Amino acid sequence: MELLVTLFANFLATNGVAIGAGIAALTGLGAGIGMGIATGKAVEATARQPEAVGKIRTMLLFGLAFAESTAIYGLLVSLLLIFVA
Amino acid sequence: MENLSAQLLSDKFAGLKDKIFPSDVIEIGGFRINDSVITGFVVVFILLVIALILRLTVIRNWKTTPSGIQMFLEWLVSFFDKSADEMTENYSKLMGPYTLGAAAYICCGVLAEMFGFRPAIADIGACFALAGCTFIFIHTLGFVRKKARRFLHYLNPINIVTDFSVPISMTFRLFGSILSGMVIMDMIYILVESVWYFVLPLIIPAVLTPVFTLFHAFIQSYVFASLTLTFVQEAIELPPKKQKRPKKKAAKIQA
Repeated sequence: MELLVTLFANFLATNGVAIGAGIAALTGLGAGIGMGIATGKAVEATARQPEAVGKIRTMLLFGLAFAESTAIYGLLVSLLLIFVA
Repeated sequence: MENLSAQLLSDKFAGLKDKIFPSDVIEIGGFRINDSVITGFVVVFILLVIALILRLTVIRNWKTTPSGIQMFLEWLVSFFDKSADEMTENYSKLMGPYTLGAAAYICCGVLAEMFGFRPAIADIGACFALAGCTFIFIHTLGFVRKKARRFLHYLNPINIVTDFSVPISMTFRLFGSILSGMVIMDMIYILVESVWYFVLPLIIPAVLTPVFTLFHAFIQSYVFASLTLTFVQEAIELPPKKQKRPKKKAAKIQA
């Protein structure tokens, strides 16, 4: 048991940064789902009301930027983990 | 397997580490200037020169039947003025030029990457300066519009937390998106070096640059401008007026 714990601790000490960077990159999951839902809804809205295309586009870009920012935070964290830590 | 990937990383991508954070070029005591700031100076200088040239040539000969460049200028200025008019009614004279200036700086600062400079926005100081300007605008305009009633907004501690998270999230959104585009392009340049087919190293960056540089430049400048307008609109919004009682009485009397 103790051997296992030491092995695990050693593993974390040597490769923990890479694992952390990988986990941080998982933020892309949520951002991708959110962006997909937003785009799908925008397409639906455009199909229902084609004359409101301009307003829908600006709102969509706005929402996409918000959804994207979480993915960007994840990317920043993983970049910092790889190159700075 | 593990050693192989580590070797690959250390051999090829070692140069990437130096590119993530700006490196100091000039250092006099505690006063440091890094390469992003120098790009910023160059971009501002070029923008001012272009503005001067346009002022002396196109705007002096303003015509009723517009030429192409006049059309473009009118579209650009009226795009920002119109969205400022819609969002911040009385202060559009102030917010329209500010958003146009910030968007021009962000857009051209990122496009400078295509000429081999480090993007001016890929420095966290530049992003924080822009976000700080927005922060100041939000709160001063809120006070100017609502006077003492604005203090009610600060009584709620959650509002204060939200206020302080605005510049931080704006800073990191701008910085992260520009930095990620830059890092991906640098990675592609490094990968392309190893491809020694005849035309491929020329074509791949040319195809991928618009995706990671042009797209980000326009989208992020637009997002920054419209976010600023949205937050200012939220700050200067007056509460809806209450229905006056006397109206009802008058209606009753009439009935």
